[in-house]
Amino acid sequence: MTGRINKTLGLLIGAYLLVFLQSHWQGPRLWLGFQPDLTPAILVCVGLTLGAGQVSTAAMLTGLWLDSLSANPLGLSVLPLFIAGWAVFSFRELILRDELVAQFYLGTAAGAAVPLLQVWLLQLVGANPLLGWQMGVWCLVNALLCGVAVPVFDRLAKLLDRWFSHPLHDPNRWPNENRQIVRGKH
Amino acid sequence: MKRFFYRSQQTAVGAVLLTVFLLMVMPESVRARLKSAIGGLFLPVIGISTTGQAALESLGQLGVTQPGPFPTNQAAGASPTVADLQLDNDRLAEENRLLREAVEWERRIPWETRLARVVGRDPFNWWRRIKINLGSNKDIRLNQPVISVRGELVGRISEVGPLTSWVLLVGDPNCRFSALLKESRSQGGIVSPRQYSSDPRVVELTYLPNDVELRPGQAVVTSGLGGGFPKEIPVGQVVDSWRSKDGLYTEARVKLHANLNQLETVRVLTQTHF
Repeated sequence: MTGRINKTLGLLIGAYLLVFLQSHWQGPRLWLGFQPDLTPAILVCVGLTLGAGQVSTAAMLTGLWLDSLSANPLGLSVLPLFIAGWAVFSFRELILRDELVAQFYLGTAAGAAVPLLQVWLLQLVGANPLLGWQMGVWCLVNALLCGVAVPVFDRLAKLLDRWFSHPLHDPNRWPNENRQIVRGKH
Repeated sequence: MKRFFYRSQQTAVGAVLLTVFLLMVMPESVRARLKSAIGGLFLPVIGISTTGQAALESLGQLGVTQPGPFPTNQAAGASPTVADLQLDNDRLAEENRLLREAVEWERRIPWETRLARVVGRDPFNWWRRIKINLGSNKDIRLNQPVISVRGELVGRISEVGPLTSWVLLVGDPNCRFSALLKESRSQGGIVSPRQYSSDPRVVELTYLPNDVELRPGQAVVTSGLGGGFPKEIPVGQVVDSWRSKDGLYTEARVKLHANLNQLETVRVLTQTHF
């Protein structure tokens, strides 16, 4: 239970900081000419490793935080992020989810699909976002960055889990000093 | 156990759909207030980040004696050569030119300006907006023009909060305005770019008359029409031009003077002297 709370807290703090950095850190904009959006990668990680509740919580909070700092209508990003996380969550038993290549492909697909869904929803609600070839190129590069980010976030989450959680109890672990049965002659 | 997980999944999906539905049916004013409140959750991190930056800067100043923004060789203690003096002279001349330009701009425009620091940006690339650290507490009002420190057009105020405001940058689809070519005085409209350009500083000047003589490098300034921006604020320079598909008007690409990706400080035009 504590482990699950730790993971959820870690996830939310991570998402919060990522949204903050995307809005307030100018570095990537100066190097790449656009601001990458790595939130789909977070949702893919959550879908691969955590439960349904965490997927919906992460999608709702990340979406609301992102929209609160942008000109998007509030709540517009929630559904695309949730769809990305939920799709991965639903099929994760069929995916070799620990494989680097699988994680990269999932991240790339989510990184491409989420902005497209967001733009589609924006047009549905009558907004007028900046579109064109430039956006397409940025979307493609962003998808690749999301693909790279998924394994990075996954390793980071595992590292934090190792630091802040107790090791799992394994009764069959050997040698186990406390549980070792010393047999005598009789 | 299996049933519990199934129900938890239903709850998760239901919670998301309910949230989205509630946000959709919510009145616009409530949604705006909610948006502002959620955005306010980032104020502590902004504060920590600003304080940390200031602390790092002050630590740097403690560690290194700073001779000023343009350190001279004399200040560094080295014996100056003619080449060094020439270099210092060039630097000072450049600084002098920039300051004169800034003062000249201040004198020239019939507006009062207020300096503002850029504290954030829209995280989505399909919007071009920046957040500044002045709000209604400093008498910032909707649609006030925003220029760079050197007086080049940056955008206009699109949302005013109590402590911060959003600025719609030139090139955003919602920031269209009338502009003219400084030489020929031909008028057109600045719109967001519709053709691919690797340079984010490029926008388009459209609805120019077909008989206009366009050359790369020609200056583009605001026309003052529509009342959105005062007249003669420098916008950019013409890069190239073409005839529209239906042949009714001419269009041109314009490279903005202000580098919108590197804005740190801007000026808000607050009042006229008329």
